[in-house]
Amino acid sequence: MSENSTPSGVRRREFLKVLGAGGVATAAIGCSSDRVEKLIPYLNHPDETVPMVSNYYASTCRECSAGCGVLLETRDGRTFKLEGNPDHPLNRGALCARGQAAVQGLYNPDRYRSPMVRNRSGQLVAATWDQALKLMEQKLGEVQKGGRAGSTLFLNRHESGSFPAFLDEWLAANGMPAHLSVDPLADNAVIAANRQSYGVSWPWLAFSAARLIVSIGADFLDTWGANVPQQLEFADARARLADAPRFVYVGPRRSLTGCNADQWIACRPGSELAIANALLGKGSVNDAATASDVPVATLQALKTELTGARPALVLSGVAGSDAMELALAVNELNRQLGAVGTTVQPDRAITSFDGIATDADVIAAVEAMRAGQVPLLMIRGVNPVFTSPKAAAVVDALKKVPFKVSFSSYPDETSELCDLILPDHHAIESWGDAQPMANVIAVQQPGMAPVYDTRQTADVLITLAKANAGIAAKFAAPNYMRWLIDRYPGGTSAFTLALEKGVGTGAVAASTAPRRATAIPKTAAPIAQTAGDLFLVVYPSCSLGDGSGANKPWLQEFPDPVTKICWQSWVEINQQTAVKLGVDTGDILRVETAQGAVEAPAYVFMGIQKDTVAMAFGLGHTAYGRYAAGVGVNPGDVLPVGFDAKSGSFAWTATRAKVTKTGAYTPIVTTEGSARQHGRGIAQALTVRELADLAAGRVTEHAEAMPGMPNTEYLPGLRSPMAADAQGVVSSNIKHKEQGMYSPDHWSGMAKRRWAMTVDLARCTGCQACVTACYAENNIPTVAAPYQESHTAFLHGVAGGNILKGREMNWIRLERYWEGGEDGGDFEARFVPMLCQHCGNAPCEPVCPVYATYHSPDGLNVQVYNRCVGTRYCSNNCPYKVRYFNWFGYGEPARPQYAWPERLSWQLNPDVTVRGKGVMEKCSFCVQRIREAEHRAKAEGRELRPDEFTTSCAQACPSRAITFGDAADNDWTVAKLALDKRGYHVFQEQLNTFPAVVYLKKVNHPAPAAPAGV
Amino acid sequence: MTKRRKRAVVPGLAALAVVAVVLSAYTGATQQPDTVIKDRGSWGYSAASSPQGRSPVQPIAFPHPTHVQTLGMNCLYCHFSANKSPDPGMPAVGTCMGCHLVIGPNRPAMNGRPARKSEGIATLQKYWAQKKPVPWVRIHHVPDYVNFAHMPHINAGVTCQTCHGQVQQMNRVYQYASLNMGWCINCHVGNVNPKWKARYDCSVCHY
Amino acid sequence: MATVTRPDEEVLRLGPNIPEANIQLPGVEKYEQVTREIQRTLYPTKLWFAGLSVAIICMLIGLGAWMWQVYMGLGVAGYSPPVMWGVYIVTFVFWVGIGHAGTLISAILYLFRAGFRTTIYRAAEAMTVFAIMTAGLFPILHLGRPWKFFWLIPYPNWRLIWPQFKSPLVWDVFAILTYLTVSSTFLYIGLLPDFAALRDAEPRPLRKHIYGVLSLGWRNSELEWRHFARAYLFLAAFSTPLVLSVHSTVSFDFAMADTPGWHATLFAPYFVAGAIFSGIGMVFTIIIPIRRWFHLKHYVTLNHLDAAAKLCLFTSLVVGTAYLTEFFIGWIGGNSMEQSYWWNRVFGQWWWAAWVMLTCNCVLPLTLFVQRLRRNTTWLFTLSIFINLGMWFERFVIFDPSLSHEFEPWQWTRYAPTYVDWAILLGSFGWFTMWFMLFIKNFPVVAISEVKEIVPPPLRTPHPVEGIEVTGMRLAFEPETPGERD
Repeated sequence: MSENSTPSGVRRREFLKVLGAGGVATAAIGCSSDRVEKLIPYLNHPDETVPMVSNYYASTCRECSAGCGVLLETRDGRTFKLEGNPDHPLNRGALCARGQAAVQGLYNPDRYRSPMVRNRSGQLVAATWDQALKLMEQKLGEVQKGGRAGSTLFLNRHESGSFPAFLDEWLAANGMPAHLSVDPLADNAVIAANRQSYGVSWPWLAFSAARLIVSIGADFLDTWGANVPQQLEFADARARLADAPRFVYVGPRRSLTGCNADQWIACRPGSELAIANALLGKGSVNDAATASDVPVATLQALKTELTGARPALVLSGVAGSDAMELALAVNELNRQLGAVGTTVQPDRAITSFDGIATDADVIAAVEAMRAGQVPLLMIRGVNPVFTSPKAAAVVDALKKVPFKVSFSSYPDETSELCDLILPDHHAIESWGDAQPMANVIAVQQPGMAPVYDTRQTADVLITLAKANAGIAAKFAAPNYMRWLIDRYPGGTSAFTLALEKGVGTGAVAASTAPRRATAIPKTAAPIAQTAGDLFLVVYPSCSLGDGSGANKPWLQEFPDPVTKICWQSWVEINQQTAVKLGVDTGDILRVETAQGAVEAPAYVFMGIQKDTVAMAFGLGHTAYGRYAAGVGVNPGDVLPVGFDAKSGSFAWTATRAKVTKTGAYTPIVTTEGSARQHGRGIAQALTVRELADLAAGRVTEHAEAMPGMPNTEYLPGLRSPMAADAQGVVSSNIKHKEQGMYSPDHWSGMAKRRWAMTVDLARCTGCQACVTACYAENNIPTVAAPYQESHTAFLHGVAGGNILKGREMNWIRLERYWEGGEDGGDFEARFVPMLCQHCGNAPCEPVCPVYATYHSPDGLNVQVYNRCVGTRYCSNNCPYKVRYFNWFGYGEPARPQYAWPERLSWQLNPDVTVRGKGVMEKCSFCVQRIREAEHRAKAEGRELRPDEFTTSCAQACPSRAITFGDAADNDWTVAKLALDKRGYHVFQEQLNTFPAVVYLKKVNHPAPAAPAGV
Repeated sequence: MTKRRKRAVVPGLAALAVVAVVLSAYTGATQQPDTVIKDRGSWGYSAASSPQGRSPVQPIAFPHPTHVQTLGMNCLYCHFSANKSPDPGMPAVGTCMGCHLVIGPNRPAMNGRPARKSEGIATLQKYWAQKKPVPWVRIHHVPDYVNFAHMPHINAGVTCQTCHGQVQQMNRVYQYASLNMGWCINCHVGNVNPKWKARYDCSVCHY
Repeated sequence: MATVTRPDEEVLRLGPNIPEANIQLPGVEKYEQVTREIQRTLYPTKLWFAGLSVAIICMLIGLGAWMWQVYMGLGVAGYSPPVMWGVYIVTFVFWVGIGHAGTLISAILYLFRAGFRTTIYRAAEAMTVFAIMTAGLFPILHLGRPWKFFWLIPYPNWRLIWPQFKSPLVWDVFAILTYLTVSSTFLYIGLLPDFAALRDAEPRPLRKHIYGVLSLGWRNSELEWRHFARAYLFLAAFSTPLVLSVHSTVSFDFAMADTPGWHATLFAPYFVAGAIFSGIGMVFTIIIPIRRWFHLKHYVTLNHLDAAAKLCLFTSLVVGTAYLTEFFIGWIGGNSMEQSYWWNRVFGQWWWAAWVMLTCNCVLPLTLFVQRLRRNTTWLFTLSIFINLGMWFERFVIFDPSLSHEFEPWQWTRYAPTYVDWAILLGSFGWFTMWFMLFIKNFPVVAISEVKEIVPPPLRTPHPVEGIEVTGMRLAFEPETPGERD
């Protein structure tokens, strides 16, 4: 072709130009990732750390008063996960959801970044520590000069350990009275009664020693006492299957604890004492029956059963005006039933709750403020404005205090009213210690340098003391850590040793300051005299506790274990009552008492006594950050200020309410679809008799099954065709010879393994600690915060819209199915953790057009995020519905739905990819942990050891219900458990999916008289 | 020449254009926002490997040859965690100063070379004096959704040079390998060295 | 004009002709009349411009909604897991279905020598091409990461991975692309002689030039006609199996899944019948306004519509049978999960959709048993709208109640599309209409050449007899090839 051809033709030059252009374009796009990214080394390398390898610092959890031991997983200077400390006597390696979520308090985007001072115009403005401390010194000076130091107040969040002693020492040095140690969740009545009966505030509850457990409103699995150790003990008790104790729950509302009971006796609020007395023989059963609206026969049967069961364990946890009397009655009952020393063990007492001020003391202090007697108020870690009933008018009282100092880390209702804020470190940044049990010291050490410009209160106090020439000598220690070490039994060396395990022996320094005189509270009016047609029960939320959890998205998105509602307040109301009022779930109810009214949607619930409505406490913040403010309502607004005169604890249930239908409606934000199993055998259970038959190999009545209904015979499904081929079981059946990595003889040796899991439903209590542990480990975004709803097509700016659409991302979810109770009688709750079953014959795998999901030779059902194009076909085809899609850019910082606003993103686990918008994700069996363990083993030139590691959910589970491991290797625990007679697969019989998750049937203990089968 | 012959170019041209488009399509596609781990702009995540042959200017022109060949230092002396961590470890400034406190910028004449003043050492000591880390420019980068761990590779006997090239001879380090997935797979299936055969299903690196 | 070839006579014909009942066009007498009247339709009118702009506006609305969705993420649509496929896939299957009637009419009926197809097949075939173009958009825009759609196409890449050939979605890619290629080729080949005719008749120079280029230098020679007939026949034969295979493949997207209500061997024939049914509905929706506004009533006669209506009635009955069979299987299968799903389908959240479907697709078409209604264009048009509606809801009822009511009761949910879903649905209609509007004013919407084949051949001189006796056989005059005279 000639160079100068006719214009109509194409010249070679142009031709080449075009090509070149194409090439350049290609190259250009190819290079567009060429950004300048820096590699910043350490200045001096800290000796104990290796980059990208985690260190674990033993510390103490401060999310509730119990003070469990935690390990702070820290890498490259960031603490990103909390795990239970196996050496700690309380939680023995387990950790509850609230403990897991502590890290979201640490990185909370709404934390105070620096000290704040109220300026002339009344605004809180950022200040430097020098300014703030100078102001503080000046105010202290004024108060002392004015000679009013004696009437100052220090409210401190209750914590066991040396700090209270240190604080009182400091206060005394400044001529101030001892502090008030506040814990709104503490059951003052029971603590007082225990002190009276046993001389300890919280004896160890050995559930496994009991033959019958009766709980009268004591929610020992929710927030009552130290729930993690209690749950461990309870699960161990239930794991004894045939000879496990029967559990009867007496109370107006079936809480999570109640849902774990074999029998629920629904009584009227306020009648608990009568029942206890009847059981005790002090009162007549008939009176109790009339008072409580429980059939006489039921109570009689319970009484008979109780007298027959030795040792039994009876517990009470009621916030009524007779709470202490009840608690004493129960202690007496325990004594008679030979519980003391066996099931109730005062000698193994939990000392975490020693020294908690009563609610009455707090309100008395508030009254002192109102009277203008308090010149200076210091508050640390508590939020009385929110946690006390509105009727106590704490806000007005605070206004009467000339100068208020808050050490709060977060802007909450109380700190917003204060004049000076000296933000405290988060517990993960602080030094400290705790005394969980006698002769046990649990140390608390920081996992990382402070996130913001905050200072530990103890250090601030020392600085202030040093500034005051008069008392500087008393506080010679340069900082609180030094102060602790100086007083630590055994000194520095012992302290250093304790740091390694997290626990040491000995007793911490006790406070020598004289205790404040306990206030004499005014008794609550008896329920009978309050107005209203229904009893109102207010209970602390399992996840949010006293409301301090409300600024942590994990806990807000954490569905209530019983109602499965999140990001919303609700009013529980019985069907019969609902029918009477013409109310259906979602209708907004107005709950009105003498103190005021709140409005919240109704949740029609068969687990509540028919004369009663119940609301959870913890929501309805007006401040406290983007996750809490404006979400839900605060039932505290309608509570009266009344006390149990003997113990000085709030009488929260001591009121009636007028409940009316407003006519408005809002959808209930719940993760629940259908609450019934429709006979699909997802959560299966046996009665003890059936268990015996099963053990004896006798056929159970489950055996003949309707078509489409699973029979309960366990198939050894861990050997799926595919996995089994891989494991060389049925290799002969292989059509074609080339099995690649799936061949047992393949050099990669992958096919040796079959990662699997067992879930023991007899142990599982449905507490959902596993859910939060999974969020923490796998960088799962929360999707329903108010700001995340701003661009969705529904519920603009209102929390929960994405949950309404079923878009929650819980890789492991707790399904709670009701059994029976259609007739309004007693019913059973079954909890089943549902996660990716890692089917050996997975329906999701063949349908993905791009191989984004496939079956790995070691038995994992893998989801490859970066290969996913988002057809969502895999989810359509997943019978278990455990695949979750990124509907928005939850992982993309520039998106309005970004789930980790600064600096929550610091909590992200560096081992796990954060998923962008438009990709599918699901449970990976913590593949990052598997790979890490394999790499470690390889580096040490060995094979994996049995039970060497486990998944995040199994590690956190306070019931020890989840076991993970290699089912192809019989040395792993899971391989043994998988062969348990109670084992079954979900949907295996219908769909032939060969799941890698084996569920072990729950075991029910029907009442002796009642027929089997609940 | 006749028109027909020239017309014949058109289909070829079209075909090549298509090829170019496809190429750019899937090269470009790897730039798309897939998955983030750090706070980056939503359109600018690291979703692609850094390009081969790239050799950015470093704040200090660190001469690997001098340290490795002349002084015979082991890679693991500075990149200390390559055999015990996913991360090879960048030497802390303190590590450099371990020697360079003594070995100052004024280099005496030795083995044939005249006395000179070393810019690099001077800069290094400046950083140290200011207690500032050296802002090295990152060269080798794999996407955030790739979990590449050095440890198992080193322990399997893969040499540093296999992936990073003859660094000991580079006065200015450049990216030797393409670091794209085909390149990884090619080695994992044992094409490079049968002894280095390793598992090559997705979940080995992507999770 | 006395001479009319009586098709019912036993005569041997020479040259291309399609023997069939009721294909006479009494209103059409001359070849030039055909060319003139059809060429006349190519002059844009105000009404047409108005229609086109409405279509384009709708399309832009859809486009905007899609861009918003790509930017924000699929969450702006109404998906509520586990309902992972919503309006988009419903609309995808709807449009693929529409396409099928076109191919059926233009290809299968051609093979069966069904004469009534002659005047409507061009519109139907164009409809097919544009429907597939519309359908093809949806699998891409329902992706979470649409910019990665090309990963479904097998091409050599440095990742060294192929698509998962086991996945029906990959089969879809092949099916749709094949169908698009073949049907557009078929449409173009059919247009060739008409382009030539228009080239010769067109006064406007630019259009004349364009038609000239498009006609690929058609000279009306015997040779060209012979090749043309062969090619046309071949393509007809080639696209006939596609009518069956493409929609079967689409149905596998669902039949291959384990979802209750999807997992049925019935799906392939069921979907094909539904597709043809909906397609014929759409043909009515299109052709009835055209014959009115383009003054083509004497081309697209009531006889033709009547015949098409019978086909419509037949497919409607097939679809109805399929519905009943589904329910029967659901009941007889005895699988509690299937049963609860079927219950949910007719009495659950979307009960009314199910009843809309049954009414529009099974009950209303029964009126076509009445001849008067078959010949009543107003009724046919109204009915066709109902059929389109019903068939869209059929897909909706098949897909979404299934997903919202699957094996896992805990995940049962409710589904409600949002404004984004509806906007994109609207946009798809805008897109389709835009192309069709452009087509009807630039290309003959009635096949000129084939119509000429059935109008009486012009004679040089009036002739006493309609044929001549050749050894006892009556021989009709061979019609002159079009465009020969003048």
